[in-house]
Amino acid sequence: MKCSVCGREAVIKLRHAGLRLCPEHLVARVEKEVAGAIRRFRMLAPQERVLVAVSGGKDSLALWHILVELGYRAEGLYIDLGIAGYSARSREASQVFARERGFTLHVVSLEKELGATLDGLTRLARGKTCSLCGTVKRYLMNKFAWEGGYQALATGHNLDDEAATLLGNVLRWDEGYLARQYPALPGEGKLVKKIKPLVFLSEREMAAYCLIKGIRYLYEDCPHAQGARSIALKGVLNELEDRYPATKISFLRGFLKVRDRFRPPEPVVLQDCPGCGMPTAADGPCRFCRLKGRVSHGAAA
Amino acid sequence: MVILKRKEQVYTVEAGKTLEQALRELGILPETVLAIKDGRIVPLSHRPADGEELELVDVISGG
Ligand SMILES: [Zn+2]
Ligand SMILES: [Zn+2]
Repeated sequence: MKCSVCGREAVIKLRHAGLRLCPEHLVARVEKEVAGAIRRFRMLAPQERVLVAVSGGKDSLALWHILVELGYRAEGLYIDLGIAGYSARSREASQVFARERGFTLHVVSLEKELGATLDGLTRLARGKTCSLCGTVKRYLMNKFAWEGGYQALATGHNLDDEAATLLGNVLRWDEGYLARQYPALPGEGKLVKKIKPLVFLSEREMAAYCLIKGIRYLYEDCPHAQGARSIALKGVLNELEDRYPATKISFLRGFLKVRDRFRPPEPVVLQDCPGCGMPTAADGPCRFCRLKGRVSHGAAA
Repeated sequence: MVILKRKEQVYTVEAGKTLEQALRELGILPETVLAIKDGRIVPLSHRPADGEELELVDVISGG
């Protein structure tokens, strides 16, 4: 099998892109796709400071590496959720990665900010772990980015993640979520711009990129992801992709063409939370502050 | 025999098939893993020789 670009020995075939690539040209393709997404969706201007949400997994570490490679001023943020065993390992992977490259990694502890770890919060709030995790992570990432004066918050969501999220949203015809699913969401007030530069790259390409570049990531899923709906959605898409190559990329690209037909049910008016000053759609304290209240209540009881 | 190691799991398949054929036989969708040998990616078209050992890395992550 020969590389479509240089004719040397190829190591990977990307059926959805009609390419066979050698290690060097797989790397070149990944970096070019990232640069292309940044340009197309006007994700970043050259002088802007970007905060990368880092989990220790392949996508976020590769994204950080690529952004620096492309010349952006990128720093990392790791949120320590206090998940027994897993958090220590994912934190270590992130710290080793940053140290080896001389990158700046910030660490925020959920226990310090909220008064409880994710495990503790799940017991108290009786919510679904993954949804609580999403809420507190989004809040802490935005707060840190806003207070630190970063112009953008980048996450490592890849093609497989976005296609699975899209399928999940379509199956529920959730117009609000569909309207908000976009590779670059502009900032507004204290909400920092959110960008997903890996949106057109498959997980397979990202794993290959890390292997070729020697990026040692945590090869382990969050224990709470077991049985999560997102994994089932990815499974269905992988079965389809196997039979009909390019299913995921055409699903996502097609959606991006028609996305502006979806509107959020009603325009959301944001106001400052009386507790923390961060924006909230609710009257009174934001969701994070309400969870915090419940935690201190639960701890006192 | 060809040995394929995936985390704690060890699979054995007969030699003479391509990696893609071997994976399908094991019920693994070929594009959901990368095969690695000596730190390098091995293409799905590769035919492992008798006694060859490869590592399978899952590329699909949760969440
Ligand atoms: Zn090449
Ligand atoms: Zn608040």
